[in-house]
Amino acid sequence: MGKRKIVAHILLLSLISAGLLSPTALAQQPRPENPSETLIRNATVLTITHGTLLNTDVLLRKGKIAAIGRDLTAPANARVIDATGKYLMPGIVDCHSHSMLDTVNEGTLAVTSMVRTRDVLDPTDVDLYRELAGGVTTLNLLHGSANPIGGLNTVVKIKYGRPIEEFLFPGAMPGIKFALGENVKRSSNPNLPGVTRRYPYTRMGVEEVIRDSFTRARDYKKSWDEYNAAVKRGEKNLLPPRRDLQLEPLVEVLEGKRYVHAHSYRADEIMMLINIANEFGFKVKTFQHVLEGYKVAKEIAQHGAGGSTFADSWAYKIEAYDAIPYNTAIMARAGIVTSVNSDSDERARRLNLEAAKAMRYGDLSEEEALKLITINPAIQLGIQERVGSIEVGKDADLAIWNGHPFSVYARVSTTFIDGDIFFDREKDLAARAELTKERAQLEQAEPNRPSAGGRPPQAPRGRRPSHDDDDVEQGERP
Amino acid sequence: MPRICSFAALLILFALSIPVTTFVKAQRSGVDTYAITNAKIVTVSGPVIERGTVVIRDGLIAAVGDKVNAPADAQVIDGTGLTVYPGLFDANTTLGLPAPSPLPTPGGGGGFLQAQLRAATPISGPNSTQPPGLQPEVMVEDMLKPGGPEIEGARNAGITTALSAPRTGIWMGQSALINLAGDTPQQMIVKSPVAMHVGFSSLRTGGYPGSLMGVFASLRQMLLDAQQYQRVQEAYERTPRGRRRPELDRSLAALIPVLEGKLPVVMYADRQREIERALDLAQEFKLRAIIAGGIEAATVAERLRERDVPVLLSLNFPRRMTSAAPEADPETLRTLRGRVEAQKTAAKLAAAKVRFAFQSGGLTNMADFRANVAKAIENGLSHEDALRVLTIRPAEIFGVADRLGTIEVGKIANLIVTRGDLFDRTTRVTNVFIDGRPVDLRPVTPVAPAPSASPGPSPAGPHAEETRPNFGGTWVITLSINGQSLPGKLELRQEGGAVSGSMQTQFGASDFSGGAVTGNAFHVVTSAVIQGRPVELTIDATISADDLSGTVQSVFGTATMTGSRQP
Repeated sequence: MGKRKIVAHILLLSLISAGLLSPTALAQQPRPENPSETLIRNATVLTITHGTLLNTDVLLRKGKIAAIGRDLTAPANARVIDATGKYLMPGIVDCHSHSMLDTVNEGTLAVTSMVRTRDVLDPTDVDLYRELAGGVTTLNLLHGSANPIGGLNTVVKIKYGRPIEEFLFPGAMPGIKFALGENVKRSSNPNLPGVTRRYPYTRMGVEEVIRDSFTRARDYKKSWDEYNAAVKRGEKNLLPPRRDLQLEPLVEVLEGKRYVHAHSYRADEIMMLINIANEFGFKVKTFQHVLEGYKVAKEIAQHGAGGSTFADSWAYKIEAYDAIPYNTAIMARAGIVTSVNSDSDERARRLNLEAAKAMRYGDLSEEEALKLITINPAIQLGIQERVGSIEVGKDADLAIWNGHPFSVYARVSTTFIDGDIFFDREKDLAARAELTKERAQLEQAEPNRPSAGGRPPQAPRGRRPSHDDDDVEQGERP
Repeated sequence: MPRICSFAALLILFALSIPVTTFVKAQRSGVDTYAITNAKIVTVSGPVIERGTVVIRDGLIAAVGDKVNAPADAQVIDGTGLTVYPGLFDANTTLGLPAPSPLPTPGGGGGFLQAQLRAATPISGPNSTQPPGLQPEVMVEDMLKPGGPEIEGARNAGITTALSAPRTGIWMGQSALINLAGDTPQQMIVKSPVAMHVGFSSLRTGGYPGSLMGVFASLRQMLLDAQQYQRVQEAYERTPRGRRRPELDRSLAALIPVLEGKLPVVMYADRQREIERALDLAQEFKLRAIIAGGIEAATVAERLRERDVPVLLSLNFPRRMTSAAPEADPETLRTLRGRVEAQKTAAKLAAAKVRFAFQSGGLTNMADFRANVAKAIENGLSHEDALRVLTIRPAEIFGVADRLGTIEVGKIANLIVTRGDLFDRTTRVTNVFIDGRPVDLRPVTPVAPAPSASPGPSPAGPHAEETRPNFGGTWVITLSINGQSLPGKLELRQEGGAVSGSMQTQFGASDFSGGAVTGNAFHVVTSAVIQGRPVELTIDATISADDLSGTVQSVFGTATMTGSRQP
């Protein structure tokens, strides 16, 4: 231990004793207390890809799963967690989330492929912490469903408390949100005289907008290909074509470099998009919601698309009337890579139970049901080599549950990402008294005292409805 | 004859009298000489002179020191017991600019009222290729008006120089550094343009960009387009023959100095993530960034120092504006911490060696300007640093340190004289010199409503202080619902603790009375006939100076309402 380190420790101690740094402030910066190795002992390990292993140890080293087996040993400075009677599960992957987005929809135009969720991430969103407490470690952050072609997505690991760059999932395939049907044609919005409605407002129009966009993208790609070829030939005095941020992502879709995640409900619109994709030679990576997927499961499977759906939400809008809770199971059995997603900051905390419902409706096996929230969404995001199962060499993104995750009584005790702890139930409970004290102190501070004659306090903020899709909020989130 | 003669002389004198006095005044202004004697002089550039004299001649500081004598022709001000400081800077304001007017809806919507509104609203950039809010060619220089209560209020607080920047927009336009005296805009301007200003709030007119994501996308696209524009123009200039003449585009042309790093970009950002996003964008296009607002800038201090990004730090510290109510949700710990931490930001930036200057950030009561500097000092900022970030630091950041910011011979004579220490709460500013001439200090009664609180990307900071609410007047409003927008008008009358009036949209007018007032908000339920059926409307609105925001709830959903009071 260097001299500077000792000084730092003394400084830290004195700060704590002076009450300047509460233990919670330390808890939010997990780095110093995260050793490079962790041994989880004697757990029931739900590997997802290799069955369930009883009384098994898992060793985490430098952010990866280093070993799985019995009677593993760890160096003296490793953290050892006794998981006797507990379950170890891969971190849950949520394939449809709008957490940590300061704004969800750019709804002014029908095609907003130039906007990026990456620009509006809020790493301090408290929903993230709640999701960690539900065993979730990876989110697919999607643009809303206000337009046929929406913005670009971001896949993140929930490294709550860390700088924003550390959230970005390394190597995740870039993606884009498409949306079909009611939200897009906006038929539920008032038709005010004198106010121009945004095109399109029928399903026919939606199809036309998408076809037109890819036609323009094809022309755009051609103009760049010609330019690049001319440069290669050594032609001089060439001006490059104008860069178009709206069309660039669509060219990437055409080239297979960007995944399409398409919000969809009805069988006819699902078929429509499959036909357009075939026409232009690209693949839809996932149909999101896809509540009528069971009607066209064979066709979806044939196209090679995945399905990311709700377990048992239906009839909350006209296009959801034909939804059935057996959808998940039917799609999975038809050979579609199927996942269950949240589309809700609240439901994201209990995706384990959403997956469990697929055993009740449609008799999926326990392992098939677990895949709905682990390896399957990982495949849908192109990150299956790193997360989604407990295998040696994969990222140490794991959660320890105090019971089987399909039990309504099960709770997460510890959540790891890259081998570091980001949620610890015991620590959370222990910190609460400190936080209460801090709050009391802060409320006495001059700028926090209520002002006489000030504004009335805000009404309690309603949460996003749990079983709606992402059209609820337009524009900024509070 | 002598009588006639004298009469004629009188007539001639009369005829000449106006030009003669102007001539005399002009001549006098050329040789105005003042001396402040026996005063304590805080030069900022060197040590404090405990008892000395400052000589002002022809707008400049002619001499300063403890052995300097007042010239014979000088008007002498006995400075015994007084202190002379360099004039203070307010590093980001909207001083000298006309009151805000609502932005017209670009493109979308064609209603009758909307057309009327559009006709009534001056379009800022003539023949611009871009909608208002995305016009970087807008220049404060072209909009300045001398005088007014806001400028007087700032001078009373000891401010002699201010950066004046456009109020709203994404590409907001280009700012000017002005002295707060002068009969014409030309006399006021010290430097123009100083910087391009970028706000990150969406247009809120129903047009693109309508969200923060869209704001970033449109900033990016316009910067890329400007690069392309430059390439195309240069190629044409090299070989016009055989090439199609490219179209002129003032908006894109205005971005070229920004891309070349010749014009810095003031980016409005308060929260840590807002600052980081702004810095990300600046790095992506190699822009010379300056952060304005910066309430949480201390959390990004390391990166700000490494990139040498200055901060125009708001003195409009966040405060709790809501009254106490047991049924309200408790405020988050983060909010509570944030308000306390905001007052420590200045000290932390100074310790981290980040360059920064103070700005009023939309304070409506300028008496709080120095009082809030005092709060920053209580929270760890040194007295010396406080003085520097009000004088020489902003002069350096804006590139005028060779002519402003300290009391040195040859610099512009912007000086303030106080009785007592500048940061003492009881200290009064007794004299202000701007461009070497004394300025009348008149006590300004707070103008209600003060029009300086501005909407959009808060130069104001989000927590402008409240004046006594006054709802009366005609408000031009925009209702937005699901990305569509609807213009309208709100006529309000205040009757004691109640508000009555009417709301007019293209559906007709609906009258109401007995609106309940709480603080600066009111709530009323009324009805209107829409598409042949009666619809109940619940209006909730909060006003801040001349800005109004709120919601109108109906069976169609909740429309957000923004508006501003017609002058």
